[in-house]
Amino acid sequence: MGDPYGMPIAHGVAAGMGGIRTAGDLVARMQLAQKMRISEAKAFVADKLNIGVKELSDVTVMREIREDLDLGVITSVPGCAKGIEAKARIADLLGIRINSVERLKAKMGRA
Amino acid sequence: MTSYPTRMGDGHLVEMTTDELRRDFVAGAEDAADRAGVPALTQGEYERLLDLFTNPARVVGVESGNEVVLTHDIGTLRLDGDQGNSGVGIPMGRLQGVQVHERAFACDTMELGHVDYSWKPVKPIIAQEQQALEMVLLSTIIPIFYGAMPNLGLYYAPDGPFGNPSDLLPAGKIKEALEAQEHAVEHATRDMVYICSKLAEVGGDAVNFDTTGAAGDADFMATLNAIEQLKASHPELGIQVGMAGEFVLGIHGGFRYDGVRLAGLYPHQQVKLVEKAGADIFGPVVNTNTSKSMAWNLSRAVTFVKACVEAAEIPIHVNMGMGVGGSPVFETPPIDSVSRASVAMVEIARVDGL
Amino acid sequence: MARQAVALGLDPLRVINEGFTPGMRQVGDLFERGTMFLPEVIIASEAMVAAVAILEENLPAEQKEKQAGIAVLGTIEGDVHDIGKGIVATLMRVYGFKVHDLGRDVPLQRFVDEAKSSGAQLVGSSALMTTTMVGQKQLEKLLKEAGLREQVKTMVGGAVVTQYWADKIGADAYAENAQEAVAKALELVEG
Repeated sequence: MGDPYGMPIAHGVAAGMGGIRTAGDLVARMQLAQKMRISEAKAFVADKLNIGVKELSDVTVMREIREDLDLGVITSVPGCAKGIEAKARIADLLGIRINSVERLKAKMGRA
Repeated sequence: MTSYPTRMGDGHLVEMTTDELRRDFVAGAEDAADRAGVPALTQGEYERLLDLFTNPARVVGVESGNEVVLTHDIGTLRLDGDQGNSGVGIPMGRLQGVQVHERAFACDTMELGHVDYSWKPVKPIIAQEQQALEMVLLSTIIPIFYGAMPNLGLYYAPDGPFGNPSDLLPAGKIKEALEAQEHAVEHATRDMVYICSKLAEVGGDAVNFDTTGAAGDADFMATLNAIEQLKASHPELGIQVGMAGEFVLGIHGGFRYDGVRLAGLYPHQQVKLVEKAGADIFGPVVNTNTSKSMAWNLSRAVTFVKACVEAAEIPIHVNMGMGVGGSPVFETPPIDSVSRASVAMVEIARVDGL
Repeated sequence: MARQAVALGLDPLRVINEGFTPGMRQVGDLFERGTMFLPEVIIASEAMVAAVAILEENLPAEQKEKQAGIAVLGTIEGDVHDIGKGIVATLMRVYGFKVHDLGRDVPLQRFVDEAKSSGAQLVGSSALMTTTMVGQKQLEKLLKEAGLREQVKTMVGGAVVTQYWADKIGADAYAENAQEAVAKALELVEG
């Protein structure tokens, strides 16, 4: 609890990875999918992206990578993968199962 | 001697000298160590805390490369909540609330939740919650949790079918109070498994059992049972457990999981049972004492959490909201305190997330 | 054990003050540290009450253990969180208070009415939420309007309540936990 400025924004600025500005969602996915501790999850994602661990939170590096790999970006860009489109690409990149993507595949008869 | 601005546990400004800060770091850490039977902090860790507290910057941050994942609880209530729950009362739908967290706050994960934020009331409206989650999952990228509190209080009178231990125990009806809790565990487990299964069926990434243990050891028991059943039936569903307090309050006292008595467990012990049940992420809680300084509270919280991180095999995302994790009990928390708490948890306790 | 003490000819007052009371203090400490649990505290408190009754029978009239005080406790209207308040009530009983526990979701006027009818020296209110803690301020006002504020001391507690809040609304005491609540209650009634 706590107001948005006082809590999530303050924590995000002090210590957060940066969500889809950077690689925060990708690292979080690995923690959830394979119970990876933070250093392992970061190393795994950095390896998949072929960058250094520090660059995972560097917006100049990750912005370009997210656009190039079409993983979804934080600002509004026509043509960039949105929502589940981006998640489908993330699941492929990380080699993990994302439940909503699996559901989409099932709806398309491709599960 | 130079004194530095810092805060009390209720958020109010005070000034402390380095000697006073050091004294409170040691006292806070030793209190945690004594209670939980874990090591206090090292001299080097006290010095790192001192660096943080004497740093003149309004906001401090971790070193580049040390960032961690930030998971969110309380759903979108922080934005749309207008019932005195720290929400800022902006009328908006939950889908927009989630999107604001993803794209305006750059959150690493987000959560959908119901306005009551307890599992029990979700059961009769599960179809609505499934569809709300479906819409969120279609239009967002970050991992989405569905979160709620086990809140076994809703299974006791006057809100539920069983006698209230808070009434029965003082009346000396111990057997009845114990039985009421055992019945509540059974029903809460069934409800949580049902609801979470439905959320898994529509493709939810994960569920979050938030403020577990708020109604005592029965709360924790029901949660562990539910996790075990869910992992057996829906292994693809991610599960996070967040606690309510630094030790499990023994309102029953006899509940055991995997042979271990739940009442009285501290974070480094709680996490082992949460792991055993099959959860993926654990969120320990350490309560803030408003009468003590931020130095005392944060050092104490870091001590408990560091031991938990060391004992854990799954990611630890420490609870850092108002009044926990070394953050002040103040609804609009001062960001100097919050950012210092963040850094200490990441760089001293070595948490995997906040 | 109390009967055994009497049979051995021990001074009943010393048995209470140097035996049972420190024992119960330890029970409170252990509960606050999470190593003793509520049902055990209840059993211990019942044992304490029964033992004191036996020992008091054997005290000269002038030495009869005095009641610590009369207290009215409750959780503010609109708030159903009362686990903590219930623990405070239990421990206060252990320390000799006669406690009128009004339960949860208690209309403010009931605190006032109960304080008046019971002759309480202490009114304690609990609030977990920022929406209900304002009721504690209102309660101070109602007690004043009823002309009771000079006779009763007030205590406030609950997750969102702080010493700062207690000072701001004019409450006489704030406690961080149940054990501290009992200590403050004793201080207040003993003056």
